[in-house]
Amino acid sequence: MAKRTLYVLGGLALLIGAWGVFVRLTTGHEQANYGSYVVWGLWVAMYLFFAGVAAGGFVLATLDYLFAIPLFKGTGRIALWGSLVSLASGLLTIWLDLGHMERIWKVYLQGNPNSVMFQMVWGYTLFGALMLASLWLAIRRPKSRWLKMLMIAGLPLALFVSGAVGALLGVQAARPFWHVGLFPVQFPVFSLASGAAMLLAAVGLFGRADDPRRPQQLWILANITVVLQIVKLYFLWADFSQSIYGNVPLNVAAVNELLFGDYWWAFWILQLGLGSLLPILVLVQPRLARHNGWAGWMGILVLVGFAVARANIVFPALTVPELEALTTAFNDPHLRFTYFPSAMEWAVTIGTVGLATVAFLLGSDRLRLTSLPAAEA
Amino acid sequence: MLGVMEQTDVLVRMREDLLRALKKPVGEQRWVMVIDLRKCVGCSACTIACVAENKLPPGVVYRPVLEEELGTYPNVTRRFLPRPCMQCDAPPCVPVCPVNATYKDENGVVVIDYDQCIGCRYCITACPYAARTFDFGGTYAESTADVEGLIVGQAAADDYERAASFEYGEARPRNRREASPIGNVRKCHFCLHRLAEGMLPACTTTCIGRATFFGDANDPDSLVAELIGRPNVMRLKEDLGTQPRVYYLT
Repeated sequence: MAKRTLYVLGGLALLIGAWGVFVRLTTGHEQANYGSYVVWGLWVAMYLFFAGVAAGGFVLATLDYLFAIPLFKGTGRIALWGSLVSLASGLLTIWLDLGHMERIWKVYLQGNPNSVMFQMVWGYTLFGALMLASLWLAIRRPKSRWLKMLMIAGLPLALFVSGAVGALLGVQAARPFWHVGLFPVQFPVFSLASGAAMLLAAVGLFGRADDPRRPQQLWILANITVVLQIVKLYFLWADFSQSIYGNVPLNVAAVNELLFGDYWWAFWILQLGLGSLLPILVLVQPRLARHNGWAGWMGILVLVGFAVARANIVFPALTVPELEALTTAFNDPHLRFTYFPSAMEWAVTIGTVGLATVAFLLGSDRLRLTSLPAAEA
Repeated sequence: MLGVMEQTDVLVRMREDLLRALKKPVGEQRWVMVIDLRKCVGCSACTIACVAENKLPPGVVYRPVLEEELGTYPNVTRRFLPRPCMQCDAPPCVPVCPVNATYKDENGVVVIDYDQCIGCRYCITACPYAARTFDFGGTYAESTADVEGLIVGQAAADDYERAASFEYGEARPRNRREASPIGNVRKCHFCLHRLAEGMLPACTTTCIGRATFFGDANDPDSLVAELIGRPNVMRLKEDLGTQPRVYYLT
């Protein structure tokens, strides 16, 4: 029932997304609400989110294929598929964000290796290829030695790509809110947390009904999710408290914008309340954490919280003027320090979420991702 | 200095400086801009001249004039600060570009290769001066009403906006949505196409208060070399280590 509903919702989201992509391709970026000041918008935030889920999901797949933990036998394929789908959605989103989509090849053939973005593009490309190969082996030759080799190679690569996303922002001295030395350390933790939430949702909502290990899998995944959520909250506290205490104006302005600005509710209600505290409160209860529906939907909530958290990392830094008087220096809709995504941006984002949902469901149906390996069944 | 100004318009002096600099081998000039904040009246003529010279579309601005009101009544004053690209000697925008589309040219001006830029806008986020803007592809005449007999509205006036700009010495008409510089990041380039023809940047020649100076700092006889040696010179956000080539006299 839940699956059928998700298929319908995913299909509708794809239709909305098709309209968004049509507008994007026929009118370029004119219909976008990001501009030259808030230069990265919803699509970049969603790219960071999807890329994080992809890296985290892969790490969790190693519990099955590399570390061979008996409890997680059979979860590797769905984790890999979720990661692959997430990465594809993220890359599609960020591709649409480019001013010249047709020139993406230049990053590969005429790139600047000193750019973190170059390193990230190459890293995610290799990572995607590695995940594709891993999934193929996991489905066709689960006993292959190569699968383990790919997992060994993929683990540091997952760490690198998720860290690179943190470095992409962290290297920018012009934005004190982003210029945090520990970003490349924090982001892999965020990735792992979102990957755990993805697997929690996958096992909770689409796991095998006849698998006796499922409640225990959910309990362990719930514990991982809770611990990582607490670590994430600590990172947030450390970041914000030091920023406010340090009192660097641009940094304090960004933190204030995040906590008390126009979109305070996105932080307090969506990211913190629904995305962190509620899942923690539910998942620390063994009975609820072992319940398929409760655990699955808490996984979804954590993912929503992470998507909002990505936006809350990207936008506040950009809504603070580098020079105060810029706000009134030149008027144009694309020269504003406020931002709310346009209909086109929402449509494309809804479409990519729909694409990820439908692809994930199709994979779980057609590729039999949740079935146990023959020897185990 | 005062004596020189009494005898010769600084524009004449700076043009002579420019022609002298252009005789030197490429790469031996060090183009700098000096803006005297005490002379700037905030007329924004430089902004408009730049828009006209480079045929900048809506949302793209190379040289806005920032206005600030300072003090408390009755001791209040206004300050105007024109903000071109700082052409930093350690530009944060350059290393972040994933495709080497932005770089410092032989004379140290930070330029953009429009055919190389993929429009990722990473460089915009890296610039601490907000000196880069993205070309979304719009025109000023878009969605405006046509009036018969008058050159207004998209049908009549749009042609002007679609006509080629000559930045970096290349003719680039805006006749196709996917044609660069649409979809690219754009910025002030000290009017390199004018310099190549022996002309000062548009903002410099247009400044009604003669508050903007331009020239080769490597030439000890140039006006700008003289000005940047003064004690009342400052640069924006020097603490970031960007080493701007735009100096302000305060």
